[in-house]
Amino acid sequence: MIVLVLILGVVVLAAGVSSARADSAVKIGALKLSSSAPLFIGVDKGFFKEYGIDPELVFFQAAAPIATALATGQIEVGATGITAALYNIVLGGEQLWLVADKGREWPGYPLTGIVVQKELYDGGLRQIADLKGKRIGITTLGSTFHYSLGNILEKSGLKLEDVRVVPLQTMPAALEALKGKQVDAILLPQPFPGTAEGQGFGKILFWAGDLHPWQTVAVFYSKKFAADRQRAVAFMKGYLKASRYYYDAVLEQKDGRSAPGSHYDEVVGITAKYTGARPEVIRLGFPFQDRNARLLVTDIERQMAWWTEKGFMKRTIPLKGIVDTSFVEEAAKAVPEK
Amino acid sequence: MAPERVAVRDRAAVLRRADHRLLRVAALGGLLVLWEALTRIGWIPALFLPSPLGVVRELGEMAASGQLMIHIAASLRRLVLGFGVGAAAGIIVGIATGVFSRAEAVGQPLIAATFPIPKIALLPLLILWLGIGEPSKIAVIALGVFFPMAINTYAGVRQADPLLVRAAIAFGAGRWSVIRKVILPSALPMIFAGLKLGAGTALLLLVAAEMIAADSGIGFLVLHAGNIMDTTRLMVGIVCLSVLGVLSQWVLTRCERLAVPWRHT
Repeated sequence: MIVLVLILGVVVLAAGVSSARADSAVKIGALKLSSSAPLFIGVDKGFFKEYGIDPELVFFQAAAPIATALATGQIEVGATGITAALYNIVLGGEQLWLVADKGREWPGYPLTGIVVQKELYDGGLRQIADLKGKRIGITTLGSTFHYSLGNILEKSGLKLEDVRVVPLQTMPAALEALKGKQVDAILLPQPFPGTAEGQGFGKILFWAGDLHPWQTVAVFYSKKFAADRQRAVAFMKGYLKASRYYYDAVLEQKDGRSAPGSHYDEVVGITAKYTGARPEVIRLGFPFQDRNARLLVTDIERQMAWWTEKGFMKRTIPLKGIVDTSFVEEAAKAVPEK
Repeated sequence: MAPERVAVRDRAAVLRRADHRLLRVAALGGLLVLWEALTRIGWIPALFLPSPLGVVRELGEMAASGQLMIHIAASLRRLVLGFGVGAAAGIIVGIATGVFSRAEAVGQPLIAATFPIPKIALLPLLILWLGIGEPSKIAVIALGVFFPMAINTYAGVRQADPLLVRAAIAFGAGRWSVIRKVILPSALPMIFAGLKLGAGTALLLLVAAEMIAADSGIGFLVLHAGNIMDTTRLMVGIVCLSVLGVLSQWVLTRCERLAVPWRHT
């Protein structure tokens, strides 16, 4: 019995105490996707270092583990899709804060693509309604792709139950499943849709943002990092600078067409370097984010309501318990517009 | 004359092992009480380790809504089919390699070469060959059960008492009679040992198999709950797996008592 108590005690200590960081290295959890481009820019061009932050990119295979790593103190900043897991972590009692925009499904900008088998497309599969009864591959239930799929189906009069949702755990696995014809369609973010089309086995049916825009990707802080106000704001300043650089280089549009800025090629190069994807694939398009990294706060509420309705969350969280826009606001005041 | 009584201390008393039934139950109960207490006072965050009462409540809700039955039924189907196929194949191959020297020459190196391959690593291959539906899941479980069964059955056949075999032959038994009446019954204890081992492996592989393209099952429940960080549901899944494990071992032990009565007298 004493031994059991001791073991439990060790477990509690290990779980409760987050490791102390004497240096100012900030671990950022992210995915190797085009949507992480602002982070790559900030790291590559030294924007974070300018404000005294030493950034360390830690790459993951899916979004939900990043939220978990943040809750357990392995990383300070997460920059990835907002998933049901993230909300459940907060519901479970571990505080984290959604602080800035890092990507939205937005009309006219590619982030997540619905990619179907080339044969099926050639055979006439052209509308969302045609997906009825088909096998649709995603990473996991509760992911951003699950959310996009559900909402897009609902907009076309279908329900999630009308298709067969196939969880494949990782994005490369989903790509392989489409290639191997084990699923009829997949939802994946750039650069995977471009790769599927480029290699000839897939055809991008729609971009999710054209069908259902929403606040998909965010920067979030761990409770501890957010409490370190000086460093948290410094990080946000570096991120804001990177965000503006990104927007000016790749997101500007004139009359509905992409109007690349002077640093377009540079950003493509940086993104290719970190994601390992080919530049032609990256040039298909970059995901949208607010130039000043502001969150679409009302959409957060909508997301939580949807997850709760589907039974993935027990109840919604009041916005002030999960969103903190003060960092972005403070950084916006401090970083001069160029 | 009245017999003298001399008090003798039983010095061998220290060797006796009592059952301590009450202590066993109390220990488990005590751990649960301690666990519940720790989560209540907030020492362990609810996210990291859900409270036992919360798990029980979630279990009750899932049972009432019928969800639990769907998951258990799906998993049991995969387990029974996979275990059945794997055990049957393993026993047949084990007897063949044990009895016939040519079969052993062909089979033993093959088994030795393929046994160490982690079956979880074969899962993507199986999915490629058999698709993402039930066949690949049943196949990976069957593979995991096959190897302990084949190896244990072979060992059981080889260690059949040679005296008994010779005695049977001396009394005029033919080859198949000897196999059926002497070798097989002798091998039964080892076969059952293999079955128990296989049952554990089957549960392990069930969770791995339900990781890819499943929409029901206890393994799926565990993985899905983990993916959305619903740790209470995760614990419900783990409790179910644990109960399945204990039940399977108990069932196999009862079967063994029936099939191998001479071992437990």
